[in-house]
Amino acid sequence: MPENKVADKELRIGVYTCYCGGNISGVVNCDQVAEAMGKQANVICSRTDISMCSSVGQALIEKDIKELGVNRVIVGACAPALHEQTFRGAVTRAGLNPFLYNHVGLREQVSWAHPHDPVGATDKAMHLMSAGLAKARLLDPLEPIRLDAKKHALVIGGGVAGLRAALDLARQDLAVTLLEKSPFLGGRAAQLGRTFPNQDEATKLLSELTQAVVAQPSVTIYTQAEIIGVTGYVGNYVVQIRQHGRGLSDHQAEKLMAACKQEVSDPFDYGLTKRKVIYRQYEGCSPASAAVDWEHYDGAPLQVDGYSVQLNDEVREFELTVGAVVVATGFDPYTPRTGEYGYGELAEVATLPQLIRHLAIHKDGDGLEWNGNAVRSLALIHCVGSREIEGIDQPHADGQVNNYCSRVCCSASLQACGELHERFPKLNIYDLHQDIRTYGRGHEKLYYNALENGVRFLRFNGEERPTVQAASEGDPYPVLVRINDRLTYGEEIEIGVDLVILAVGMMPRDIDDLVKMLKVSRGSDRFLLEVHPKLRPVETAVNGIVLAGTVQGPMNIQESLLAASAAAAKVSSLLGKGRVELPPFVARVNAELCQGGKPACVESCIYEGAIAQRTFIENGKEVTRAVVTAANCTGCGACVAACPHGAIDIQGWTLGQYEAMVDAIALELPELQEAAK
Amino acid sequence: MTSIHVDALVVGGGIAGLQTAVDLADQGFQVAVVEREPSVGGKMITLSKVFPTLDCASCITTPKMAATAHHPNIQLFTYCEVQSIRKQGAGSVATVSQKPRFVDTAKCTGCRLCEYACPITVPNTFDSNLGTYRAIRVPFPTAVPQTAVLDPANCLFCGKCEKACPVDAIDFGQKAETFSISATAVILATGFKLTPIGAKKEYQGGKLQNVIDPMMMERLLAPTGPYGRILRPGDGKEPMSIAYVQCAGSRDVTLGVEYCSRVCCMYAIKQAMLLNGALPLADVTIYYMDIRTFGKGYEQFYQNAKAMGVTFLRGKVAAIREDEHQNPVVKVELTEEGRVEERTHDLVVLSLGMLPGEDLSLDLGLKRSSDGFVNSPAPNARPNETDQPGIFVTGTAMGPMDIVDSIVTASGAAAAASAYIREFGKSPAAVAEESEAQKESVYA
Repeated sequence: MPENKVADKELRIGVYTCYCGGNISGVVNCDQVAEAMGKQANVICSRTDISMCSSVGQALIEKDIKELGVNRVIVGACAPALHEQTFRGAVTRAGLNPFLYNHVGLREQVSWAHPHDPVGATDKAMHLMSAGLAKARLLDPLEPIRLDAKKHALVIGGGVAGLRAALDLARQDLAVTLLEKSPFLGGRAAQLGRTFPNQDEATKLLSELTQAVVAQPSVTIYTQAEIIGVTGYVGNYVVQIRQHGRGLSDHQAEKLMAACKQEVSDPFDYGLTKRKVIYRQYEGCSPASAAVDWEHYDGAPLQVDGYSVQLNDEVREFELTVGAVVVATGFDPYTPRTGEYGYGELAEVATLPQLIRHLAIHKDGDGLEWNGNAVRSLALIHCVGSREIEGIDQPHADGQVNNYCSRVCCSASLQACGELHERFPKLNIYDLHQDIRTYGRGHEKLYYNALENGVRFLRFNGEERPTVQAASEGDPYPVLVRINDRLTYGEEIEIGVDLVILAVGMMPRDIDDLVKMLKVSRGSDRFLLEVHPKLRPVETAVNGIVLAGTVQGPMNIQESLLAASAAAAKVSSLLGKGRVELPPFVARVNAELCQGGKPACVESCIYEGAIAQRTFIENGKEVTRAVVTAANCTGCGACVAACPHGAIDIQGWTLGQYEAMVDAIALELPELQEAAK
Repeated sequence: MTSIHVDALVVGGGIAGLQTAVDLADQGFQVAVVEREPSVGGKMITLSKVFPTLDCASCITTPKMAATAHHPNIQLFTYCEVQSIRKQGAGSVATVSQKPRFVDTAKCTGCRLCEYACPITVPNTFDSNLGTYRAIRVPFPTAVPQTAVLDPANCLFCGKCEKACPVDAIDFGQKAETFSISATAVILATGFKLTPIGAKKEYQGGKLQNVIDPMMMERLLAPTGPYGRILRPGDGKEPMSIAYVQCAGSRDVTLGVEYCSRVCCMYAIKQAMLLNGALPLADVTIYYMDIRTFGKGYEQFYQNAKAMGVTFLRGKVAAIREDEHQNPVVKVELTEEGRVEERTHDLVVLSLGMLPGEDLSLDLGLKRSSDGFVNSPAPNARPNETDQPGIFVTGTAMGPMDIVDSIVTASGAAAAASAYIREFGKSPAAVAEESEAQKESVYA
């Protein structure tokens, strides 16, 4: 058995088994667990509570520390991710070192895993608790690693969420650097017309927001910039940035734009129009300077005033140290597969984002026209690329279906219906949906208005989506939409239309490189994942990396703004004091055991600068030994396994502690009870 | 009149108010939270489990309640009513009335001996009146603060509690006290009201015993609930057929409520899933117009419920009556089948919606929108702001929303208020250093 390191002080352990409001006690016999633990060596008290994390439960622990002299605490409750910090806080308040607390997961690990085996679950709970107890006996007081933190935040993405986060961070006295990959700010919102529910123009909202950001002296904005490397840790992330050149100065811009003849399909208009490779994204865009589309520019010199001008991309790379990172990289609208509802095959099939651009570009005219043809009748199909069902809908390139609701498309569709009706009152609109989800404040009004305006609603089942095909020659309309309409009790209805609009959902963007660099995770829907939707809704599992807006999941503008402000509040709390605390679970080298020979630990280390071999003079003798830089160490344990002399341990998770836990788990239940005596 | 100055005043100690308070206090600001009830925790603390993670509600709420109570920068004022708030320069001044608890909060230890001694039993409002508690009690087991409160309307003043109290904390002579809080920023987190159960006459809510509201079902499902199992209130029978009537208080112009309450689809589905676990043989039917499971992970939650065998029938329920066995009979047009049916269930839950809570105008001249909630002059630019500078709004005071959204808007409100305080109040630096110094000294 490993040596008890705190033999000088009598071990007095308090054990607490949480019912978790029935989540644990519904399966595990918590009282039996508590009783068994109460008989174990060094246990001063063993209690249960309906909810240990509540004020009452925490007070119980604090009282035992103060009155019974408890000096080690273990709680068997939910996963440590939820409430380990809560209980560390409670023991700290009672005057105990927070790391003399040990958490045992009895919910995710036991009651939720074995809901139909109460006896087995109780047995397992006892083993895990006794392992927790074995570890608790070997706990040492530890101090968190305190580091200076840069009062500087990096925001990745210059859409509404990124801009809002930057503004709020600056207003909370932090320096802010904002990176935007494209040459212009505004993101997806810039492509919208009027926004629900108040019918504000998106570009007007954006320009107000952008002006407010630009007016902040502590904000620096880099456009055409992206991240190529990230090292460091919370408080001190070192970020490598690559920025492309603007390529032309403002005084040449007009002439160069006039001289430029090369055109490409404009992604801003979803391919509906073409633009030059020297361009301004939209009227009133920010920055107002024209930019060169380096991806498509063919490199040919331009003729201006008789001179030949060659445009060159002056790429520069630089480094920045920031305390925290706000990820606001946004979403992509779903692009239907070729043939999905006739998309890409029939000229009369387009997406809702395309329609919105079309309406923004063609502001005049009495009738709606598409590809030069008058549109008399239009069908809008909801849930394209959303609410897909595994086994029924065709999987996407990564083998998954989009089984989530994209949240904005219902309101956006009905907003578009409103605008269409206002401008083209004679237009026939058919709305094909599963459920109308106009949930937001003022959104239901859009639905009422559409009903009043004569939009015809038809309803389909997710298992049986509508179909779109070309009509036969001589038919009055070029396209036929077929639906099994649930509102007419499953009648097969055929609708002839001039245009089909697909209300496409939101897709997570291809930001794999960034995800890898930041070491954040994606959820099952492939959007970036928060720690917990209620406890830490905008934070990722990586300390100091927070999420803002649609990078996390579908949201509308208002929701993105709120999420961005929430992200700013979290960063402000984190960096406001100019320093951060990191958990002390890092490698520790035992100076007596380290031989300083072949540095197996350094070779095995996967984090830069976490462990190194240093030579220094100690007591007049030159010694070579491994040295840990705590801030860079994640406590992964690779060096522990590599060291041939067993000289390295992870603080708070030592080999001795592991051995003791394994020994306890390996005991049979009667032995465990025997050991108690 | 005593007067307190803080950087931020949060009105309402529900989940949104608590989150805003903690976020501001973490930035070093001094925060006062005023809560009308004897405990913080709001509506959320009364829930059983919460969607979409099915965490028990108290597992999420109680630590936030405790974090607020323990925070060195937060002062909690429970059982206090804000009587008025007036703008004064950039800041505001609130007049607050401390209602008498008839218990000395400084002395009370929450031992509950008074409660055990009290002979008067009254309906337990925490349990939606399904169970009972005493005329003097700690409001509920996880209440913050753990301080008893005496309900003078039901008390006989027999003095048994006074004798039982080991710390001499009972004080029958306590009177309401008024004090003022001046703050640079005010955050309204006053929450919502549940649609009254009798709102829709046709459903006979409040008249039929086995037609209940969703908060009652939350308590029936809660492990700490009144019966420890699911029993219908009429006759204590275990219901084998349970129906949910969606949009029972929302999307209904006859009720004057045009809007969607956002949470009812998800809570009905959640309760249906929990019922499936509690009563595996019971049938659960949800009558709906549209299923609106729009949040992150919500659609998957809905699909899981369908796979578990919850029946979804599309149709707005027209009326509810009762048969001779007190079973509610639901009259509904099944729009997908094209017929009107009467269907009998053992228990019906009306999926009631969210109505605006307290009158927030409070001398502040705040406008309300047509939906009755506080007007948001720039929803797509500054969603937490109101018509008055320095007055912010968060959570369901902004309009119907679920817990996830309330918590995000609460942090959003903290960001907005923080910027305002930095501009018009003092810098938090001094406070931050102070609390940092305290923190250092905590370790033994």
